[in-house]
Amino acid sequence: MKAIELNEDQIDALKEFMNVSIGAATSNVAELLDAFATMHIPKIVICNSDELIAVIQSEVDPKSKYYVIKQLFSGKFGGECMFVMKNSSAKNLGNYLYHIDNPSQDDINDAVIELTNILSSTLISRLTKELGVQVQFFVPSAQIVNSEDIIYAEDIQHYSKIIIISTVLEFKDQNIDGNIYILTKDEAINSLIELIDNKLEELYS
Amino acid sequence: MKILVVDDSSLARKILIKELKKIEPSAQILEAENGAIAVEMFKNEKPAAVFLDLTMPVMDGYEALEHIMSLDPYAQVIIVSADIQPEARKKVLQIGAKNMCPKPINSEKMESIFMHDLII
Amino acid sequence: MEFKHCDILLDSLDNGYIILDDNFIVTYWNKWLCINTQISQEQIMGKSLKEFYPDLNYTVLQRKIKTALSLKTPSFYDPNSNTKFISINRNKVTTSSLTLMQQQVIISPYLINEKKVIISIYDISELHETKLLIQQKNDKVTELNEALEADKEIINQNIMIMRTLANGVIIDVSMLFCDFFEYEKQNIIGKSASILKIDESSKCLYEELQNIIINKEPWSGELEIKTSSDKSKWVEARISPIFDEENNLIEFNTIYYDITNKKLLEELYITDALTKLYNRAYFDEILSSITKNQRKADINFALILTDIDHFKSINDNYGHQVGDEALKAVAQTLKKALRENDVIARWGGEEFVVMLKNVTVKEAQMIAEKLRSVVENEKINDLLTCTCSFGISMYIASEKIDDTFKRADDALYEAKRSGRNKVMTKL
Repeated sequence: MKAIELNEDQIDALKEFMNVSIGAATSNVAELLDAFATMHIPKIVICNSDELIAVIQSEVDPKSKYYVIKQLFSGKFGGECMFVMKNSSAKNLGNYLYHIDNPSQDDINDAVIELTNILSSTLISRLTKELGVQVQFFVPSAQIVNSEDIIYAEDIQHYSKIIIISTVLEFKDQNIDGNIYILTKDEAINSLIELIDNKLEELYS
Repeated sequence: MKILVVDDSSLARKILIKELKKIEPSAQILEAENGAIAVEMFKNEKPAAVFLDLTMPVMDGYEALEHIMSLDPYAQVIIVSADIQPEARKKVLQIGAKNMCPKPINSEKMESIFMHDLII
Repeated sequence: MEFKHCDILLDSLDNGYIILDDNFIVTYWNKWLCINTQISQEQIMGKSLKEFYPDLNYTVLQRKIKTALSLKTPSFYDPNSNTKFISINRNKVTTSSLTLMQQQVIISPYLINEKKVIISIYDISELHETKLLIQQKNDKVTELNEALEADKEIINQNIMIMRTLANGVIIDVSMLFCDFFEYEKQNIIGKSASILKIDESSKCLYEELQNIIINKEPWSGELEIKTSSDKSKWVEARISPIFDEENNLIEFNTIYYDITNKKLLEELYITDALTKLYNRAYFDEILSSITKNQRKADINFALILTDIDHFKSINDNYGHQVGDEALKAVAQTLKKALRENDVIARWGGEEFVVMLKNVTVKEAQMIAEKLRSVVENEKINDLLTCTCSFGISMYIASEKIDDTFKRADDALYEAKRSGRNKVMTKL
């Protein structure tokens, strides 16, 4: 397999492309949850799978518990969408979505799953539409874990080279924020690069 | 005529400039990659119009917009952003932007902006 | 007609399917649901789901329907949730932790213009049960681990343990071990076990260790060990060899018990307070053990009874204190002159008894003569000398020990009678 690398133009283009997708996702979430989100600039990292842990750990508070919601999507552009949210944020989300002061564990789980689903399906649908491929979403699964257990080395051994597209979703008024990671590998990265190149070519023609 | 294009993404700037040139081929385009640089350029160059992104490092679009409006209450600023929440739109129009369009901008929208929003 | 096909299709599938609009009006309810909920199509179709399931959270359901319709992609319920979308009884008769069906519920956009979604319900009870079971086992493992950790801590604090490699290099010691022998853990790990100062008399341990390796069995015994600040401690040690799968010796695991106090008591119990020789009771014990067991290696011994000559006059002339000094001096002189294996005890008053192991009459007589001579030549307190009389007998296999004593006593009497400071034998 040839080494996957992105030049500055490609990264910039991907960032901008994701920015637009995240804008759509944020807007969907905001509308469905009836809240206003502050958008953040997406980060794009292409790394070896073993570096993923470091990337994620650099953004979490080691003393907190986290909700980790993972949703798989399959098809030609397949991968995994991961949403990482502090316990307190998840509680606020459950509280906000269920209109109760003390949401149960089930309420919180359902709320974080719902949020993840809206985010990932908008983000990925947007991407796959541009790529001209179909996508199938699977049921997200939520887990509550200590920060060091968000991701285990053995969890990602199947991925050789991965692309991490991450951003922060933030509802300031509701005290809800979380990090979204889109993880995809090899073939999917190549089709993404192809897409970017086409877009760039279109622009410069 | 000077037009200032502000976006942290060079691709986004290129798309915008391409569309601008279609309508105003003679315009002198100035580029800035964040809000802080944009405010400085606005002070020095006094462009006729500003196309401003919202999510940017160093200084975001909201803050830059406020600075620009306080420098010149008649400044003509168009927000071009991926943020398409109605709330965001409300906010920037309140500060004084002439209009807000979602990214990526196309010829049709650009024409409409020059027709309805900008006095040049 | 085409709609009919869809009905047949949905009715043939082994999952639950509901077609629902955003006002919760049911427009289709498949056969699987009819059977499992016992609500027929005639009853529910065209009516609101709310009439049949008033307890559902309809705000949440509405949001999920809206999500599916506006994003044109499915929305989901948490499949691990304890609250069910629609309660369906489970009829598993054999043991089950689930009485209600665990469901995976997916709300997919169906006819977007008509704001209709199709809700699919999959039975994932078996999967969920397995999941719960694994969770339970996991919790149990965690619990056991915690208990194990606690036990380890108790052991660490209350039991002296040393682990060494086969070559004697220390690889681990418990906290109590460090406290007891006065070592810092980090200073002792990596050192040889010979850093422990084992008393000379316990040195045979190292030879016995060879036997452990050969016999592959643990060794236990009492050792006198000095702490790092040279305090003498008695321990009972149990050394277990540890072998790998191929039966190669890899480690020794040694557990120590502090028996210092027990040892002190024992010594007190068997020692004559004045002379520091064994007391009569202990000597009796040794003899009775030998005569009881009748082991060939032990029974070939001689008894010597000895008595200080004219002891009464020493007391009378010099006082009791000097008398006691004389007793102590004679005791030590006798003891020093004996071989290590011989046993000497104070028999009472100014009388001592000696057991000489593995001797012939001739040898016993030579030793007694040596004893007589050393006492005679010893000056006590730079003041006086004294002499002893000796009576020797040989133990005859199987005889009563009293008989042996009787003969020794007779011989002693003979020695006294014939002028004292003499050795006499009665066979």
